[in-house]
Amino acid sequence: MSASKVLFGCWLGLAAFSVATVSLGHAGGARTLGVLVLLLALGKAWLIADGFMELRHAPRLWRGLLLGWPLAMTAGIWLTL
Amino acid sequence: MSTSVEGRAVPASPSRRLPGDMAMWFFILAELSVFGVLILTFAVTQMLYPEPFRESRRVLDGSIGLALTLSLLTAGLLAALAVERVRRDRPRQAAWLLLAGLLSAGVYVALKLGEYGHLLGLGLDMEAGTFFTLYWILTGFHFLHVLLGMAILAWMAGRCRRRAYRPDSCSGLESGVLYWHMVDLVWVLLFPLVYVLN
Repeated sequence: MSASKVLFGCWLGLAAFSVATVSLGHAGGARTLGVLVLLLALGKAWLIADGFMELRHAPRLWRGLLLGWPLAMTAGIWLTL
Repeated sequence: MSTSVEGRAVPASPSRRLPGDMAMWFFILAELSVFGVLILTFAVTQMLYPEPFRESRRVLDGSIGLALTLSLLTAGLLAALAVERVRRDRPRQAAWLLLAGLLSAGVYVALKLGEYGHLLGLGLDMEAGTFFTLYWILTGFHFLHVLLGMAILAWMAGRCRRRAYRPDSCSGLESGVLYWHMVDLVWVLLFPLVYVLN
């Protein structure tokens, strides 16, 4: 697949996840929905890091650091829900 | 792992390459650390004062939050496409893509300023409770990063027009675009926390 198609695919995924986030927000404030919203945020962060920032081809240390940040943030937020 | 030698990206191994300059990656880590502290502060304070946060959040429009998100992510897509065009030795196309990204980022700025104006019109400034103190600090700090990112996109568009980047010498462009993606990365965590989660 060409690089452009990969980038467009990432953007489509990001847009779909963003719409799903707002829809879940309108559905209510249940804890389960909150966890789903956080999982969507984690998915978006992964698409940006591996897709847009091209970390899928990067050394494992840097990929781990950049993917570790959203993981730590979502885990921290989840603990406060 | 790659480093930049006199503006040229030098891959450390043919299979695994880190785009951009190493300095930019350390800068991104530092920025993410600062935003991380702010995001977790917001989350913990929300846990301590759930009702005031729930009430205050009702003033924010989730649809505007979605539009803000899409404008930032679209700018990110266009900036990433610009890098791809330079790698294929099409810098003029990259310049137009960066300008389009700048336009998309401009939509974010217009919407955000509208939201700020609306809140100020309601008297909801930094002193209007804990939620709004943290809201203004967190989103205001991010907004400043967006403005800096736009200046970088505009500067890089000019350099693309002058054919300053080459397929084998574009680590400066990669670094500038990485900065924009960092702004996006922060927003995708900040957006659900501030606008959606109760």
